[in-house]
Amino acid sequence: MASLKILIVDDSITIRRIITNALKTIGFPETIEATNGKEALEKLTSGKVDFIITDWNMPEMNGLDLIKEVRANPVYASLPILMITVHGSEHDVVEALQAKVNSYIMKPFTPQELKEKIEGILKTVQVSTE
Amino acid sequence: MNQHEVEKVLQKAAEVKVFCEYGQRTIPVLDEIVGFLNEISPAIEDLKAVLEVAMVNIPKASGQLVRVTEATEQASTQILNTLDKMVATLDQVITSVSSGMVASDLGVATNKMAGIVKTLVEKSGWDADIVELAEAWAAHLRSMKMSGPTSNLERLLKDLQDDCTEIMMALQVQDITQQHIGSVMGTIQAVAEELQKLTTGFFIVPAVQPLPINLPLPNDPENVGEIERKKMVESLLSKARAGQL
Repeated sequence: MASLKILIVDDSITIRRIITNALKTIGFPETIEATNGKEALEKLTSGKVDFIITDWNMPEMNGLDLIKEVRANPVYASLPILMITVHGSEHDVVEALQAKVNSYIMKPFTPQELKEKIEGILKTVQVSTE
Repeated sequence: MNQHEVEKVLQKAAEVKVFCEYGQRTIPVLDEIVGFLNEISPAIEDLKAVLEVAMVNIPKASGQLVRVTEATEQASTQILNTLDKMVATLDQVITSVSSGMVASDLGVATNKMAGIVKTLVEKSGWDADIVELAEAWAAHLRSMKMSGPTSNLERLLKDLQDDCTEIMMALQVQDITQQHIGSVMGTIQAVAEELQKLTTGFFIVPAVQPLPINLPLPNDPENVGEIERKKMVESLLSKARAGQL
């Protein structure tokens, strides 16, 4: 699990650094970054990515559209995606789930919450692929 | 003048009468409208002044909010840089402590000192002062063994590292604040645009300047408290997992 390569997608450099550091703390040191959905798709095509953590609000391509693009592409369709966002209305969560996000965290989050979410997603993905 | 011409004149007279009657009815209404316009004219002038101020102040307020978000982002970056350095330094110290470098260095020095004291005692022929020094040294060694400094130090350093992580995580507030400010700016912009539509054709007021940055707008983030929203998210995720969504 420690060799997991995680793509962090957020337009805020502060949040990217916070997530990177939190991931290091909980045992996921291998990360790459993108500032929006469009850049994330480019990163996906240019190298191996095992997991995506994305924000919702971003310029050029937001997190929701990124999820839809990833799910529509047979190569990446099964990639685990966790959304971390300030969007917290019921409508938002349902919209994200309908776009087939694996899980959802509200900001502010703790490293422990992040760890539980990632491990939860990985368990689900393993079960469904077995 | 024949009968037909007389009838025509009478018809025209009737039309003039109707027009005069209509005029008699409408003139007071027109007078009232003019009076009303005279009365509200100062209010319209006041409104115009307010709009002029608003059209200047709204972009100014937006600019100030942008500067706030820029300043907090800059401060967050500086804090993160410092925390990164602290965590790296703490990593090095923890590695040194846990690998026993400090303890073994201390052990070498202690053993060397013990050897010197022993030689001194023997060479001095058990001189009372030297024996006293040896006893003091033995007491010092006992106290050092009891204190166990290495494990304590390691624990304290790890606590410090955890504190650094906590400060780092607390910096999420910068992004959350920025998004809320973005939402407020979106509302201000929308109000300004509506005001401008209302005033079009009435007054000449400065055009609303577009906001300098397009901050993302969260959907009703203040609907409920943070804890409640997190609970709601978890409940929806559970429903989704159970296929009930």
